[in-house]
Amino acid sequence: MPLRAIAFQSLLLMVAISLEALVLRQRMRLGYQTSMQYAASLNLLATSLGWVMFLIAESMLPPPLRSQIISVVLFNRFYPNGWVDMLPVLTVVSAMGVFFATYWVKLQGLIWLMVLLERAPVTAATESESRHQRYEMARRGKAAQRQDYPSRTLAVLEANALSFTAILILLLLHQGAITL
Amino acid sequence: MVAFIRRTLESLVNFLLPASYFAWQTVIYMSLFSWLMSLLARALGTTSFTIGVMATLSWIMLALGIGWGLEANRIRPFGIPIAPWVAGAILCLFMFGSWGGEWLQPALTAWPLVSFGVVAVPTLISWDFRPKRPAPSVRQQLVLLFLLSLLISSWFQFYFRIQAWIQDYPSLVTDNFDQSAFVYRLPGQSTQLSAGVTHLSMAETIMREQIDGKPWSSVERWLLNEQGQRQTLQREVQRRMANQPSLENDFWQVDFQPFTSGDGYDIKIWAIWSGPSAEATGYHLEKSCSLMPVTQGARYDTSTDMEAQPFASTRWANLSCQLDTPRQAGHPARYTNRQS
Repeated sequence: MPLRAIAFQSLLLMVAISLEALVLRQRMRLGYQTSMQYAASLNLLATSLGWVMFLIAESMLPPPLRSQIISVVLFNRFYPNGWVDMLPVLTVVSAMGVFFATYWVKLQGLIWLMVLLERAPVTAATESESRHQRYEMARRGKAAQRQDYPSRTLAVLEANALSFTAILILLLLHQGAITL
Repeated sequence: MVAFIRRTLESLVNFLLPASYFAWQTVIYMSLFSWLMSLLARALGTTSFTIGVMATLSWIMLALGIGWGLEANRIRPFGIPIAPWVAGAILCLFMFGSWGGEWLQPALTAWPLVSFGVVAVPTLISWDFRPKRPAPSVRQQLVLLFLLSLLISSWFQFYFRIQAWIQDYPSLVTDNFDQSAFVYRLPGQSTQLSAGVTHLSMAETIMREQIDGKPWSSVERWLLNEQGQRQTLQREVQRRMANQPSLENDFWQVDFQPFTSGDGYDIKIWAIWSGPSAEATGYHLEKSCSLMPVTQGARYDTSTDMEAQPFASTRWANLSCQLDTPRQAGHPARYTNRQS
């Protein structure tokens, strides 16, 4: 039974959700409960989609690579075969891919969630600035960047980066790669 | 005593016959009735469609009734409302159980999602089958619940995927999973014999065919071409194992090495696992055999086609192998303690 995976994933999800809720609350000026719900929805969405993608991808991989995945899942290590030199590179590349994919999924998820809940984004105020004001700001050319990005995008990016960092640290701690 | 019996009877009657018709007991009774009707229909030999409709109605009523009953009696272990889960389980049992064969996997995978459906349908569809729009807070709850059930469903699928791996590579089960960050073997789950043992006994059989009971001089000659015999043995085992095709056959390689001991040889036969394992250097199974010359002079002295050797009776090879195949970490040490 994948009991350890379930326990570990629940722990990581809780950490990620609470951290992301913190960021969303500060960046998007949401309430405590709302930010918690948003963060939980986004992380659960990303995790479920991740599982679906993993289960599909795993069944389509060539057998040598598939047995490496089995090795990692069952024995927590790679075993020597023809792919072993490629694996560190593959791992890093796929981790970065996962980061950006998760970011995109979370951003889209947040947009859909807000549409579904009929909640206007808080950033509407900044977007409704007149053209003249924006022109003035651009001409003066300072401190305009933050207003130009929708705060939503930035908030999700920051939340995602924070939770990925925390999860990475926890995973490294679990592997014993770093010790406190 | 009489009062106690009367009280028990009264509570039983209250339990079985509710005050109002609009109660969960009614639904259970309808389910029972529908089931009896389906039995009756079967006894009367009506079309399978009639029986199917009756049985389906019965199952749905049973799911509804039990869910309603659990909710009405506030049976909530650890504060979790289990009513939708139980109703979902009954519906899954009905939907996939009637398939026969491999129904457990789709049933377990669909269970969380069906349970979510049991929760969601009443809030999304009104009594006259018109879609309704729940309040945003309810919508948020439903989104969370849906994603959670999707996650639990993924966990079930992951479990079945691991089972599929073990079907493909049965020797993985014999390894230990203490290092794993994903799986935990429940204590008491049986560990079966590694498939490497099959390879080993196959190698033993082949070797027996080649050298057991042959004249000792020809066996000595056989052993001279060690490298060639090794390749022959590997090829032969691969050929015979093709009868039992398995993905893990590629991970096993047989090998052997003779060591001189006394008059004869100790032969170690190895099945080397080159797949994923708990040890960093892999492992191998070892079978110890002894190849000894035995003198059976009397029997063959009379045979006419043998060369006459009046003073040295002919020596024959005898191969005897131990039954146990201990598992050892790492690659077999082929040349370290070779004495010849």
